[in-house]
Amino acid sequence: MIGNLFEEIIKQNVSADGWNWLAEKVALVNKGVNAAQLNIAFATVPGKTGKKPIEISAMQEKKIDVLLPGFSIRGWTTDRLSRVWLLMNLNSADKDDYIRRIENLFKAAEMNELVALYSSLPLLAYPDAWKFRCTEGIRSNIGTVLEAIMYENPYPSGYLDEPGWNQMVLKAFFTEKNVERITGLDQRANKRLASILCDYAHERWAAHRVVNPQLWRLVGKFIDENNFSDILKLFNSGNPSEKKAAALALSESDFMPAKDLLNQTTNLKNAISEKTLSWNSLVKEMKNFSSN
Amino acid sequence: MSHDPLKREKEVAESFISVDLENIKGMQFFDPHVHMTSRTTDDYQSMADAGIVGLIEPAFWLGQPRSGIDTFRDYYSSLIGWERFRASQFGIKHYCTIGLNSREANNEKLAEEVMELLPLFIYKEGVVGIGEIGFDDQTPAEEKYYRLQLELAKEANLPVQIHTPHRDKKRGTQRSMDIAIEHGLDPYMVIVDHNNEETVQEVLERGFWAAFTIYPFTKMGNERMVEIVKQYGTERIMVNSAADWGISDPLAVPKTASLMKLRGINTEHIRMVTYQNAITAFGQSGQIEEADFTLVKEIDQSKKFAGNTILRGGQQPRIDKSSIIIS
Repeated sequence: MIGNLFEEIIKQNVSADGWNWLAEKVALVNKGVNAAQLNIAFATVPGKTGKKPIEISAMQEKKIDVLLPGFSIRGWTTDRLSRVWLLMNLNSADKDDYIRRIENLFKAAEMNELVALYSSLPLLAYPDAWKFRCTEGIRSNIGTVLEAIMYENPYPSGYLDEPGWNQMVLKAFFTEKNVERITGLDQRANKRLASILCDYAHERWAAHRVVNPQLWRLVGKFIDENNFSDILKLFNSGNPSEKKAAALALSESDFMPAKDLLNQTTNLKNAISEKTLSWNSLVKEMKNFSSN
Repeated sequence: MSHDPLKREKEVAESFISVDLENIKGMQFFDPHVHMTSRTTDDYQSMADAGIVGLIEPAFWLGQPRSGIDTFRDYYSSLIGWERFRASQFGIKHYCTIGLNSREANNEKLAEEVMELLPLFIYKEGVVGIGEIGFDDQTPAEEKYYRLQLELAKEANLPVQIHTPHRDKKRGTQRSMDIAIEHGLDPYMVIVDHNNEETVQEVLERGFWAAFTIYPFTKMGNERMVEIVKQYGTERIMVNSAADWGISDPLAVPKTASLMKLRGINTEHIRMVTYQNAITAFGQSGQIEEADFTLVKEIDQSKKFAGNTILRGGQQPRIDKSSIIIS
């Protein structure tokens, strides 16, 4: 159970007093308390548990990924994990009441509370009930809230419909997020999204702004006569990262002209088949380059 | 001032001191009363540039009365959500006080609903007091909700930020203090705002904190403020801008510090009234961590990823305002 694991991690990371307070509140909300008690407990967590970044072992990280694939708490603070654990323990026997209580927490949430609430989506009961809430969060302009939904959170890929998912991915590019941290990014690539992203790239080019080369990882499988010229442009741009991105996109395509183009660059083609060049290696390479 | 236009010009030139905050460079300021909801992003940027590291936004009247409870909820929620984020983009730590303002206390039906809503917000992280509450017209309804909110503050162990009225100020200020004492509040937990030369002595003598709002035309000017500090010292005195949707100045605190320096007040005294005292007073909420001021400042504008600037936590990039080109 992921809840037990969280319990263990929280115990390791907060003071004895903080832990006792939290354990008591968790027992209370699990038994069923009035809304005001839940609201106050949820609001006052940071004062009791502190807000330090949590420390977690590699083994614990691995366990989390097994229990809930695509989910991670790396970089979280103690108050965020404690709030999520509190929510996981909220008595959910009465569905309507449970949903109303959590919705009310959203409505009056402070910035860090929003982060915890959106992080908890894949761990709450009645997962179908939070779809609208998730799309509302994607409309937020608060950077940390967006990141709570986008990064290592399996809820959006698991539950959002195609328009909702596409909106989130586009917004991630638009707000310059680290898109490689989106759970399910490649699995949920789709033709409609590829076309939206190509339009977006055109707008960026028209404005003489750069385009994140990772955009093309969502286009590769859908290369056709309409967007092939975009890949060609990328391939011939003279920027080595863009050329690699073009090659990676081409390698995912069954479109004949795409295969032909990839055959023109044997070294990149080989690097891809030998797995020395991948989207992940490209991301790393670009990051190293930029921090130098 | 002289009626001779030439002479008058000379007099204006002599009394005019251009803004040059060079003499307070490196100092940190805390503005304990500023309504950022009504201000632009440019203000945040200039406040950060002038050394403001933290501020308190009291809940207030938005310029016209609200017609329903949901707009109150959304307003309070924006003070702890969106506005907090907006400030963090410029490296400024944003706190707030939550309360029902005196004007809207007069809509009793709505006021009742607001009283039910308040407990949902006052326990939140970064809420450093109940405020701004008190008297406007000094009506019975204002008194009723002022009293109820004092009780709420006591229950939550939070400081109180009192707005004192524009009209009949002296009596309104006295009455606010009398009632606070009557409810058993420790004057050290109460910040009486918008003081002037007429009110300050009694406020300080009775053990309350005295805040001064530097606000053109209607409240204090900062030259008067310099004289107040010279006369009363710095104990339990603080300066704020109360900048809002009116003609006001979000740089009032650093500008006042600069003027104090020009007029020979020592740096430690300036620090007390433009930074430390406010933090001490509102810090009694247990919600102010000075370490957070540097944490929120960890802006790394230089990190680039895929050719794009990464602004950690959504930090805003700077634009070059001296250029006619907007890209």
